[in-house]
Amino acid sequence: MSEDFDLLFKVVLIGDCAVGKSCIVTRFKTGNVFTERHTNTIGVDFSMKTITIDNKRIKLQIWDTAGHERFRSITSSYYRSAHGVIIVYDITKRNTFLSLQKWINEVRNYTANSVVCALVGNKCDLVDEREVSAEEAQEVCDLIPEILFQIETSAKENTNIENAFAKIAEELMNRQTIIGDDSNNGIKLGQSKSIREGNCNC
Amino acid sequence: MDESLEDELKRANQERQDIVKKYVLGRKQLDKLEGNNINKWEDPDFGLYYKIDRYGFIHTEALSREFDENEKKEKEVEIQRAQKWLKMHKSFEKFRNYNREKLQRRIFKGIPDKLRGAIWLKLLQVEKQMKDNPGVYNKMLNLAYNHSTDIRQIDNDINRCFRDHEYFRERYSTKQQQLFNVLSAYSMYNMEVGYCQGMSSIVGVLLFYLNEEEAFWALHALMIEKKFAMHGLYIVGFPKLMRLLTHHDKILMKFLPKLKKHFDKQNLDAVLYSLKWFFVIFVERIPFSLCLRVWDVYLLEGERAVTAMAFTILKLHATKLLKLKDMDAITDYLQYKLNKNFGYSDNYVIKSLETSIIELRGKRMDLPPPANDVEFPKCEMGQFIEPTIEKKLGLRAECFTDSERNVTEFVIHRNEENGIDGDEDEDHEDDAISNYNNTVENSMLIRRFKSMNSLNTTTSIATSINSIPSEFNQNDLDDDDFVIVETTRL
Repeated sequence: MSEDFDLLFKVVLIGDCAVGKSCIVTRFKTGNVFTERHTNTIGVDFSMKTITIDNKRIKLQIWDTAGHERFRSITSSYYRSAHGVIIVYDITKRNTFLSLQKWINEVRNYTANSVVCALVGNKCDLVDEREVSAEEAQEVCDLIPEILFQIETSAKENTNIENAFAKIAEELMNRQTIIGDDSNNGIKLGQSKSIREGNCNC
Repeated sequence: MDESLEDELKRANQERQDIVKKYVLGRKQLDKLEGNNINKWEDPDFGLYYKIDRYGFIHTEALSREFDENEKKEKEVEIQRAQKWLKMHKSFEKFRNYNREKLQRRIFKGIPDKLRGAIWLKLLQVEKQMKDNPGVYNKMLNLAYNHSTDIRQIDNDINRCFRDHEYFRERYSTKQQQLFNVLSAYSMYNMEVGYCQGMSSIVGVLLFYLNEEEAFWALHALMIEKKFAMHGLYIVGFPKLMRLLTHHDKILMKFLPKLKKHFDKQNLDAVLYSLKWFFVIFVERIPFSLCLRVWDVYLLEGERAVTAMAFTILKLHATKLLKLKDMDAITDYLQYKLNKNFGYSDNYVIKSLETSIIELRGKRMDLPPPANDVEFPKCEMGQFIEPTIEKKLGLRAECFTDSERNVTEFVIHRNEENGIDGDEDEDHEDDAISNYNNTVENSMLIRRFKSMNSLNTTTSIATSINSIPSEFNQNDLDDDDFVIVETTRL
């Protein structure tokens, strides 16, 4: 294994076409690259990045999916093993926000029950064209139990991109600890076989 | 019809009309209109580029001298060959029927760029289609302007199709108008396919060399002609994709077993690197000049060129790929690095492609097994199928069709076989993940039942029960939880 890590989580990005899913992933992965003109994603694109939270190295496997409905038969097969889901909409296109219910249904149908879900409103740099307010997003977020938090991002200006992924990772990490504390045969961070150790047999 | 639905339909209609209007007017007219609604960010920054290469692509970094030299050489060779090609073009049918070997040899050497369009038209027999179907294209285009439910998706994709090319760089440019027209018209002509992502790249490449109506019929030939048969690739459920992927695996197992093992060990399924190979014939996965050469061969040989090119890419890069130790590095290499720099000259790659075709043919593996019925068109071309209300409103359909479910299961099955979801991975890395997953799943399930609130209860509870993992042990629930499970079943 070329790099070490303490934990590994799979995160899937879903959402309508052209809301900026691939741009978010590229920005997160490279830190300083924004591709102004992405091509459309056919099926699923895969990438990885390791981040550090509380001295733990967390490796995120990111599955960037095609938003076009015809590809949902392929993309939904990747939901199944996801630990985290990021639903992306475009704050300048109300339609993409209204699709949320459909995306939530897909999450309910195809992911594990434990999945951690975040709502991301992208393109928040385009202030003049905003069609969805942050307050409205928060209201919806409060109503839908699967969604843990909402956040607005701009892949173009690198606003909150790292933050969105870090929050998901942190939540996933905390959940592990909670479970560890809850049960007698609990999983303790860094000692159980059930938690992936970067240094073991890789 | 209830009022709100009628309003929604009106809104969807209006949206379609607004999009159509912009493409009908085109950039020049739009610029004259006040409040034309072209957002500033829709046009890429023109000030950035230094040079346009011979194919029209804009490079933001100055091209090297070496690049210039190669271009010069290529052009010289092409001028020398052009004379022969012109002759061949004149009596193309004779060559196709009686001297295929010569035609084949020359096409593998590359069609001179100036004659590429003319030869592609011959290879796809576009002129005949146009003669046999006068007026059809315009009729379909008119229908599309008023009825196509794919307009919004097409508009979305044009906004990101070949934007680094001078033809497509400006929003609503002439080429963007043509691309919009061809895709919209085709969505009405072949309603089973309609519009699917990927088709914009195919038509984009065709429009580099053909006019609007020619591109329409060329696209149709690619969909329907037996040796291309992309219809089965693009319809809902992608039946042909599954056939191509299965065949690709077989080829790897037979000819590149070490690499196949390596991919399996890294949990890398072909779905993750090969979809653009199959759907858009390598566009944006290999350099454009090489891609055109592959298209030349594809238009002559049909799908065996795709099967063999997929094999060739992996064969040529096997040594490097074997050294890459994770999924991320491998997909990055195959999807992005090779597009920037393939590492071999175009001529060398096409020679290898020829060898691959012969090699595969020797084992009768140059073509995947034949298609079954589902892959062929069921409706007559140009026949109008009334779209569902969901489609008219541009909403995602609630339920999966049978063919969609097939794909999902197919991909899941492949993932399990390749270990992405599997538990039987040798180095038990994945065991660890899935154990974790199940533990979290089970405890979360309990918590979820406890916290289930009023929102959408019926479906979410139902699906929660359906998705209880098979290893789930009901003893893990305490009595209260169990009661909840029982009640929801009633």
